[in-house]
Amino acid sequence: MKNARKLIAVALAGLCFWPLSGCGGNGAADSNGQATKLNYPSIKLGTTGKDIHTKIKLFNHKTDMSVDTYPGKNWKQYVADFNKLYPGISIEIETDTNYAGDALTRLQGKDWGDMMMIPAVDRSDLSTYFLPFGTKEEMSKVIRWSNASEYGGKVYGVPSNGNGLGIVYNKRIFKEAGINENPKTPQEFIQALKAIKEKTKAIPLYTNYAAGWTMAAWDGYIGVNATGDGRYMNQKLLHTKNPFSDPGDDTHAYNVYKILYDAVSDGLTEDDYSTTDWESSKARINRGEIATMVLGAWAVSQCKNAADHPDDIGYMPFPISVKNKQYTVSAGDYAYGINSHVSKTRQEASMIFIKWMTERSGFAKNEGGIPTAQSDKSMPDAYKEFADVHFVEDQPSVKGEEDLFNTLNSDSELAVNSGGNARIQAIVEHASKHDKPYNDLVKDWNSKWNDALKTEGIEAQYDTASK
Amino acid sequence: MTATTVESSLPPDVPDNKRPFDWRKGIIIVAFCFIPLTLLVVFTYVPFGQMVGFSFYRMKYIGVPHWVGLQNYRQIVTRPDILPSLKLSLYYMAGSVLHISLALYLATILSFRVRCGNLFKGLFFFPYLINGIAVGFIFKFFYTRGFIFDSVLQWCGFSLNSLPYWLKDQSINNWSLVGASVWRYMGQTMILFIGAIMSIDQSLYEAAEIDGANKFQQFLHIILPSIKTILVLNVVLSVTGALSVFEIPFVITTGANGTGSYFVLMDRIAHTNQKVGLASAMAVVLLIVILIFALLQQILFKFLFRNQDDGVKAAKRRDRRAKRQRNRIAAGKAPLLANGRRQKAYSMERGQ
Repeated sequence: MKNARKLIAVALAGLCFWPLSGCGGNGAADSNGQATKLNYPSIKLGTTGKDIHTKIKLFNHKTDMSVDTYPGKNWKQYVADFNKLYPGISIEIETDTNYAGDALTRLQGKDWGDMMMIPAVDRSDLSTYFLPFGTKEEMSKVIRWSNASEYGGKVYGVPSNGNGLGIVYNKRIFKEAGINENPKTPQEFIQALKAIKEKTKAIPLYTNYAAGWTMAAWDGYIGVNATGDGRYMNQKLLHTKNPFSDPGDDTHAYNVYKILYDAVSDGLTEDDYSTTDWESSKARINRGEIATMVLGAWAVSQCKNAADHPDDIGYMPFPISVKNKQYTVSAGDYAYGINSHVSKTRQEASMIFIKWMTERSGFAKNEGGIPTAQSDKSMPDAYKEFADVHFVEDQPSVKGEEDLFNTLNSDSELAVNSGGNARIQAIVEHASKHDKPYNDLVKDWNSKWNDALKTEGIEAQYDTASK
Repeated sequence: MTATTVESSLPPDVPDNKRPFDWRKGIIIVAFCFIPLTLLVVFTYVPFGQMVGFSFYRMKYIGVPHWVGLQNYRQIVTRPDILPSLKLSLYYMAGSVLHISLALYLATILSFRVRCGNLFKGLFFFPYLINGIAVGFIFKFFYTRGFIFDSVLQWCGFSLNSLPYWLKDQSINNWSLVGASVWRYMGQTMILFIGAIMSIDQSLYEAAEIDGANKFQQFLHIILPSIKTILVLNVVLSVTGALSVFEIPFVITTGANGTGSYFVLMDRIAHTNQKVGLASAMAVVLLIVILIFALLQQILFKFLFRNQDDGVKAAKRRDRRAKRQRNRIAAGKAPLLANGRRQKAYSMERGQ
């Protein structure tokens, strides 16, 4: 009797372990999560893995591309093109409308597929879920924005494409106002806005004040665009005293926000900022009722599709020149990641597909983004006017200072580049009411920032005021 | 007179109360209270206590909190933006006077027989059912220059140039928001009033009519005293609502342009700026302010309704005291559950 009970217990325990061992036995990842020895830079499309026969799945956010009516190239066409080169690898595409949230949930279960666009995962967790494509050095030679999903010297994501930061504008209105060359300095830009106000009926600059987040977009320009320095935003700014002061050469944060202040105080913006409407503004710039909006490149395609004049919408570099050169920050979009828990063959097939997508498919160009491959120097139509502009990536923060920017933002309540809607909205309010000169606003921000530096015991190595 | 009734209603040979506390009864009471009390403590008092604790720290959502003592409270008093934002509540309090009187007026009219009464009730209540975000959109377009509100006023003969910018002009934009707030919550208050008015005995009106009272006199002497409790409740709710107004400014103007109420500011400090300690301290201060206002209201209403008592209240109080006395004596003899067994035993003991 006792023995029988023991037997049953052992059998039960065995049963419990059975599915676990089944998991490991699928020829999948070893302990460090990497099954394949293949790395991204060494893949030669058309030769590497030509004999692979497998089926893989890509989970992504481009729901619009999964329907046949998509105006550009849809997923089905990309897969068909890929299969001309690799007939053995069949690809299933799964898209999701609530991608950012669902992807994180799906990630917890390990059977979400073979490739996905990496959602907001902490860098330190990247290796838990994803396969490294290669080391940082070798990857930075072949792809742009390799920093974005790098951890511990390895790169876990390959951005699908990337973008720069400029100003959305209506080309027809600029032509009607007699502006034939894009403004390159704040003064030229204000002059252009004045010309638009005089010669056309369009609103020279639409602030999109009411939506809030559209105002916070201004913070994106104070880094590379205003300084030409990839280290400014995440490294130097954190050690800068008086970062909002005027350096005297039409650069830096001072002159970015001054464009907004001057435009509002000179009456070059909409009549009533408090009731601006974001959704209709896209159609209005398309129809030529608005001349410019200061927004990221993602807004270009939305403005183009909002009404009947897509060809009138252009994207111009931000009107600040550092030593006669214009710069723009550039950043990668969603990056492809490969599931580190699937079999070696599927991992290799995935890596080949991703390399094909970034180098051969023309995806970036079709979607109006900057191509991922370093070798691809072509710029999409949207960035036609960025030919002479230098694209610089934001460098990540220095080791040990990863949280410092957030802390300083919290202490100073300025929320620079992290939802500082209220601060930028206040610029518009004061400029419109003429009740506080711009330099007083600057003084307020500087003293808040300097206090935060003092609270955190940060030694300032730079001072914008004395530049 | 009451004293004698108490004496006479008692059984003549009540023994001394030998069991001052019935344990079984106690256990049942505790058992029944356990679940609701646990929920209350776990989800209300513990988090609140923790929040009070947070208010003494300088902390973010992640990271190590630093003890700073009363510094957060000192900041609330000294910062130029926090306490002055409570002034905005005055707009909404003024609005709540309008909203309660309007609701009371409409409720009174609608509770008499009115043609299409239910339709009107529905129409007035409708705004309350609209999603808050939609309200934000509706009013942004409503107040946009040359849009709905301006057009309506232009039909009435105003010229567009003489009209202000409803949301841009900082001297009136808070009134615009108060207007939206009244529109949204008036119907709900009205329904509460109608409910209370419905419960008044119809025969009182008939009696009043026979006595020759007109409708206004009926309102003043029948309706108003009968719905006193609901009226006080609504005033308390709208004053606390005015102090902690959030939704209307948040969805219509995102609290910008001088419409940032105390709550909107608190949200910004807690979430955008991640100053959890300071925001917690603000919440504690707001609670204290609300308690003070509630107390002032109590005193005010006591004063306002001091002549309402026609002796009924005092009589009721006397009656209650007598009942309590009876219960105290009969406590040990009371049946545990209403099955009558003990009652029977008690009667048998008395030889009946």
